[in-house]
Amino acid sequence: MAAALLALLIVTGLYLLVFYRVGAPWQSVERLQADPYLGRWIRSLHRFASDAMVIAVLLHAWRLFAQSRSWGPRALAWTSGVVLLAVLFISGWTGYVMVWDTFGAELAIGGARLFDALPVLSEPVRRIFAGDQAIPSAFFFINLFLHVALPLGAAAGLWIHLSRLARPTLLPPRPLLSAVFGALTALSIFFPTPLAPEASLLTVERHVPADLFFVFWLPWANALPPWLAWTGAVGTFGLALCIPLFLHRPRSGSWTPSVVDERHCTGCNQCPQDCPWDAITMIPREGGHGVQSALVARVNPLRCVSCGVCAGSCAPMGVGPPGQTGRDQVARVRETYGVADVNELRPVAICCEHAAPDYLAPLRARGAEVRRVSCAGNLHTSAIELTLRAGAPGVMVFTCPPRDCRGREGPKWLHERLFNDREAELQSRVDRSRVATVVMSVGDPEGVLDAWTAFAAHLQAHDTQIPSAFDDPLGAYCEPVPLENSR
Amino acid sequence: MRPAVWARPAAGLTVAAFGLIALRAGSLAPLRTSAVGESVLRLSWSARPERIEQCRRLTDAELAERPQHMRLRWECEGRFARYLLSVRVDGRIVASDTVRGGGLRNDRPMHLFREYALRPGERRLGVTLRRIDASVRLDSTGGQVAAGAAAADRETREAQERRVRRAEALPDSVSLDTVLVVPTGRVALVSYASGERKLVFRTGQ
Repeated sequence: MAAALLALLIVTGLYLLVFYRVGAPWQSVERLQADPYLGRWIRSLHRFASDAMVIAVLLHAWRLFAQSRSWGPRALAWTSGVVLLAVLFISGWTGYVMVWDTFGAELAIGGARLFDALPVLSEPVRRIFAGDQAIPSAFFFINLFLHVALPLGAAAGLWIHLSRLARPTLLPPRPLLSAVFGALTALSIFFPTPLAPEASLLTVERHVPADLFFVFWLPWANALPPWLAWTGAVGTFGLALCIPLFLHRPRSGSWTPSVVDERHCTGCNQCPQDCPWDAITMIPREGGHGVQSALVARVNPLRCVSCGVCAGSCAPMGVGPPGQTGRDQVARVRETYGVADVNELRPVAICCEHAAPDYLAPLRARGAEVRRVSCAGNLHTSAIELTLRAGAPGVMVFTCPPRDCRGREGPKWLHERLFNDREAELQSRVDRSRVATVVMSVGDPEGVLDAWTAFAAHLQAHDTQIPSAFDDPLGAYCEPVPLENSR
Repeated sequence: MRPAVWARPAAGLTVAAFGLIALRAGSLAPLRTSAVGESVLRLSWSARPERIEQCRRLTDAELAERPQHMRLRWECEGRFARYLLSVRVDGRIVASDTVRGGGLRNDRPMHLFREYALRPGERRLGVTLRRIDASVRLDSTGGQVAAGAAAADRETREAQERRVRRAEALPDSVSLDTVLVVPTGRVALVSYASGERKLVFRTGQ
């Protein structure tokens, strides 16, 4: 959403730029404001979109922080995001100063006060705003330059921000995008932002109409000694930058990076395509175990976040985080159903453990055999097939919301493998009416439980043929070989 | 009891409406920037402090030893003067500070920017800037009278430059003592007029 709002800001900003004059800043904005058809609401849209962008960026950062998604390979995205947030605030500062109304002057003086505390210039910047001389046009030109250059630099910084991601998603779903843009446009048309009076440096303003999304810091900065304000700002910025240092990769075995069992790698090039973090490359195979292919997959552990999507993508089950490979999943199914009474088997709910753990107990209460998986994309289709062949009436996979997947792209790839024959696909011999996927989002317990109830009813109504005995899976599946013993 | 079909969209619309109201309110929040009924006394100027220096006239032999581009007849060492800034409002001293030139070596002009809260109404303002360090006279005991027209011309030029620098510098003492009516919410600005070499007063309209 932030990227879409940045695009909106650039478009509206280009329009405003045409009319802005550094020699008469407030007067040029006043002329814009006097245009009731376009100028007024485009200026308002520019302002409200910038506020919405601050909210979008902070929510995005908070979500990733709350989900501990800043460690390891994600650290670059986090630190670059913090820098981009700082750029956003500085860019907003220059934008409001450019208008040169009472708020702009207050912001300029507040910023100059902080800047003067730095041992950079011998002449205080605040003297520009003393009131005994006109503000030089160069000051507004520098502001204009920064206000244009910083967002363009932010657009370039976005490339770094997203560089570790494969197939980054910049735009929100179209309905949400349309709703946000429409709401901001309506707000701008019906409740446009007024223009404050022109700045007068020899007048003390008691109140100014301030944009708290950008200048929430100003009251503190004015009240505190400059060195303390700087300490707070630099400390907050530094702490935000260092958050990845405090959030290490979890030490448990399930969070170790993926490894490739070269004996089973067929060089099909599917796992590099599916990996959401570009952590897998194909390299020439060096000798080895009865060579099947010229290429073999290699995982870069520094870029792997252990989502396990590669395990779900590998038909011969030769890659994945230890304990989460397709072979491990098949072995667990065998272990579970090898001792189960086929007449007592219940429909299986396989749930992403990050989605909504609170819903697992209600699902059990509604007759589900609940199993967890680290990510829906980690689930191997062979485990589903084996579950069905073992006698389970049906399998419903509960995934994260597609845009909120911890591993990225898990729900998407699972759906493709189950229903659209993507590599490591669910075999055609499996009855698709016994398999379903549902998004399990926090805040929607009715939706989740209704979906499960409907699925269970559907299974009962169709009286799906349940095998009378445990199939021999060895005919269809590889012998499970623990990865740690395979080398 | 299950929520009605329309409940979810209605809740969404309500949240969106409140979100927009909050967005506009946050975007145009009145920010208090000064105390009610307050005015400001602002001092702002940029002036070069007087240089306190001990000068010695070089002999012809000493001058000849210097590189061509460094041959000044008078060699001066010293520093820039410190000044005592005193601000009084209705006879009460609100500030009494030592001020000096800018830069790490204090060899830059004195850039001063101070603000003091002021109650509106008729006020007697006094601002004084007085040099702390005593000046030092030229020492002309060393060396001899310049010989030749070119040397004399150079010496004259140097003397002229020193006179100009002294004239541009702050005087030993400048002060402003005046009674004025300070309107509410206005800035009373005191600055230094270098041409007239005095502190001048200006108030906002």
